[in-house]
Amino acid sequence: MRHYELLVVVKPTLTVEELQAKLTYLKEILEKNGAVITATLEMGTRKLAYQIDKFERGTYVVFYFTAPTAAIAEVERLIRISEEFIRFMTVKFENQKELRFWNKQVEKITKKSDAPVAAVESKEIAEEQTVTTEA
Amino acid sequence: MAEKRKFARKYCKYCEAKVEYVDYKDAKILRHSLSERYKIMPRRLTGNCKRHQEMVELAIKRARATAVIPYIIDTQKVVAVPFEQLQQ
Repeated sequence: MRHYELLVVVKPTLTVEELQAKLTYLKEILEKNGAVITATLEMGTRKLAYQIDKFERGTYVVFYFTAPTAAIAEVERLIRISEEFIRFMTVKFENQKELRFWNKQVEKITKKSDAPVAAVESKEIAEEQTVTTEA
Repeated sequence: MAEKRKFARKYCKYCEAKVEYVDYKDAKILRHSLSERYKIMPRRLTGNCKRHQEMVELAIKRARATAVIPYIIDTQKVVAVPFEQLQQ
């Protein structure tokens, strides 16, 4: 099992549901090939530095996962077949410093995704408390 | 007389910032090593150490492939404010 990072650029023309469907499809491929996804980061739609297939914008999504080495070739083959992914980049993280960066990124993403939920909860609790004090 | 020095005293800015890994998705960190036409600047001008220069080179090439930064800005595409899109 090695540590990897996969970035895909998805067509900007997809609706939210279609995009999510594509991403779950990609996740399924990864998991079917023995990958364990630890974090996903949706960077949103942003301007491309140059045109790709006549598109000016693209939706960037990054996956952080560990997978056996054989999985990568298969996943990349399937990405190439699919028309919705206009670019992809797989990066292997091997030595200590790279792995430290990988862990840091994963931590950052999980923290970010947890934080809003926690904030909402704490706010709700605070509101409840104020209600009780008023009563 | 020798030509006046164009750049200030050189030191590796990545070493100073203690960068361990140059992420290709982060265009801001690459900006220092790019010319205004998005060419990779040589080490003798930026003052990067060899270790960081190699990391930056790889990151820039990856960033180009994923359309984070352009390959080249030609005379038609030259913009008034270079690095405009990086300042978001």
